[in-house]
Order: sequence, then structure tokens, then C-alpha cells
Amino acid sequence: MTRLAVVTGAARGIGRAIGERLEAEGFAVIGVDIGDALAETSFEPVQVDLTQPEGIAAVADVIGDRRLEVVVNNAGITRDARLVNLTEADVAAVLDVNLGAPYRLCQALAPRMSAGGSIVNLASRAYLGNFGQFNYSMSKGGVVGLTRALALELAPGVRVNAIAPGLIATEMSMAIPEEIRQKMVANIPLGRMGEPEEIADLVAWMVRPGYITGHVFVVGGGRSLAP
Amino acid sequence: MRLLVSPRLQEHLEALDLPGPGLVFEASDRVKDWEAARGALIAAFTASQETAVAESPVVYIVHGDDLLGRRGALAAMVATGLLSAARTAAIELSRKGAVVNVIAVGDDTPAETVARWVGHLVDPAGPTGEVIRLDAAHLGKALP
Repeated sequence: MTRLAVVTGAARGIGRAIGERLEAEGFAVIGVDIGDALAETSFEPVQVDLTQPEGIAAVADVIGDRRLEVVVNNAGITRDARLVNLTEADVAAVLDVNLGAPYRLCQALAPRMSAGGSIVNLASRAYLGNFGQFNYSMSKGGVVGLTRALALELAPGVRVNAIAPGLIATEMSMAIPEEIRQKMVANIPLGRMGEPEEIADLVAWMVRPGYITGHVFVVGGGRSLAP
Repeated sequence: MRLLVSPRLQEHLEALDLPGPGLVFEASDRVKDWEAARGALIAAFTASQETAVAESPVVYIVHGDDLLGRRGALAAMVATGLLSAARTAAIELSRKGAVVNVIAVGDDTPAETVARWVGHLVDPAGPTGEVIRLDAAHLGKALP
């Protein structure tokens, strides 16, 4: 029987790398994204807005009667500004996409998951705190709480863990001005940005049967230790 | 000092007569759906921003069990969201000499104890970006 995975934010970057890696591991991947770039992937596409109830319902509809083994909540956005300059709209948008959508998707899909299944939530190293990212940090901190609560709630059948990536070489991070990016890299002990495939490798390992649940893996090249 | 807290804690905080502007924000025990969780986090943002503009101290109060996800996803999302927001606000406000901290309480933590710790944590010479746990939920458990 085909093993089934859902990956959100699958059209590009980390989500696409995760989907491709899971396909290489033998999964059929339902790729969910708000943009139309899913057409460039080999995933079963679901182009929806996960902040809307009908978007969540559409994902559940596509799954149908199939049992689900893996859910990867990866879709996320940023609206960066210092706390004093943020707008309520900046905060609401980031909370809705980064925290509300994974919460609602887990609510909808957990009952469809098979025993031994696994949920992986993409948090961010910013959950430890990051200048200019009050809203993003808040949302990703919330993802950590979601992960812990679901780990307790869904055990022993489904394991729930999170990854907190640091600076990863995606379109989003490459849009940061070169000079600023170089300064950021200079503060990373491993001396480089991470690659999306390195996050995908960890996801592939995490969804194998194991004894880890409720854990947050910080993947930041040592940035959370450096001054 | 702006107090967005339960009436019982408010009584004890008012008795302390904390000096100057600042914010004490207590996460509600009643988070029944996503809209309520979202509303709590946005309320915390709005009040925190006003306090940040005034370069004044902030203290968030959460339940220790929620930092570990023991009382359900929604309450956990609010508590850990506030903790991460506090860490970021602490970074931003450290340049202005204002402190931002979190107090984690338990079911049996007396309100007067919480109030006393708020008094410590609004001191600009005190710690910032910290979580002070006034219950025992974290002993031998994961650090947030």
C-alpha cells in the first residue's frame, strides 16, 4: 500500500525539498500551497489558502479514504519589523498562516492518520528570539507549544516533533540584501547557510518509526550558541 | 503600570503600587478555540507595542503546564507564543534599558507570590528575556 504524506508550502524552498525527499523514500506526496508553482512539482497538487476553513477541508477531501502517515506543516510567511513599527495586520497575517493553519490542519488530519504516523512542524530558530521578528517569533513559539501539546495528545499512535531552522538558502533568504546576509552568515559558527535538503534529510529521518516525540530540533549551524 | 490580569492578581499588584509605566499581561485560562488564542496573542502584541514605545518593562504570566503542552494545544500555543515574543521583545528593548520577562505559575501559586515576582521583574537593573517558574512543573522536564 502506498504511504501517504501531506506537505504544506510545498511549491518551493524547504517544503519542496521535503516533498521530493519523501517521494524518494517511497511516499506519495500531496503538496499544498497557495501559489501555482505546484504545477512544476511531481506532487499531487492542492492549491488552497490554509487560513480559510475551505482550504483545510479541500486537503481533507483530496486525502479521501486513504490513511495518512505523515503531515509536514511547513507553510509560513514573514512580515518583519521592530515591535514598535509592526501593525496589527502584520501580526494577524503571520499568526494565521504560521500558527492557525497548522493547528487547524492537525485538527482535521490527525483522525485520518495511521498508527505509527508522524507530524513534523516547521518552527524557526527565531522561536528563541530574533530582532525585528516579534510576530514571527510569537507564531513559531506557538508552533513549539502546538508540537508539545499534540505530542502528548496523540501519543502513542502518532509522534509529533518540530524543526527550528536557522538561515536556510531559500528564495526568501536569498532576497535579503547581500551585505546583510553576509553579516548573518558571519554569526553562524558553521560559516554558511543551511540547505533545504538538510532540513529534508532530517524530516525523512524523523518520520521513520522511532522513540522521539515532542522534541524541537534546532538546525541553525550553531547560531543559537554564538554571541 | 497597565494590568491586563485576573482580578485577584490585580488586587495584589495594585497593593504593590509599582512605579512608572509598564505592562503585566496574564494569559487567560479560557482559550476555547483558535479565534480566542489569536485574540489573546494580538492583545498581547497591542499592549506590548504601546509599552515598548514608552520603553517600559513587560511581564507576561503564563501557566507552567502550558509551556509543556499539558493542558491542550490552544493554551500551549498562547503560552509558548508569549514566551518567544518576550525573548524577541527583550532583545529589541535591551537597547533602550527596558526589560521583558515571563512568569510561569502553577495551579497553587499564590497571587501575592506572583505579584511579588512581578515587582522584581520590572526592575530595569534585573534580568531580561527570562522565564521564572513559580511552580514545579518543569522539574526534570523539558526546558522551554
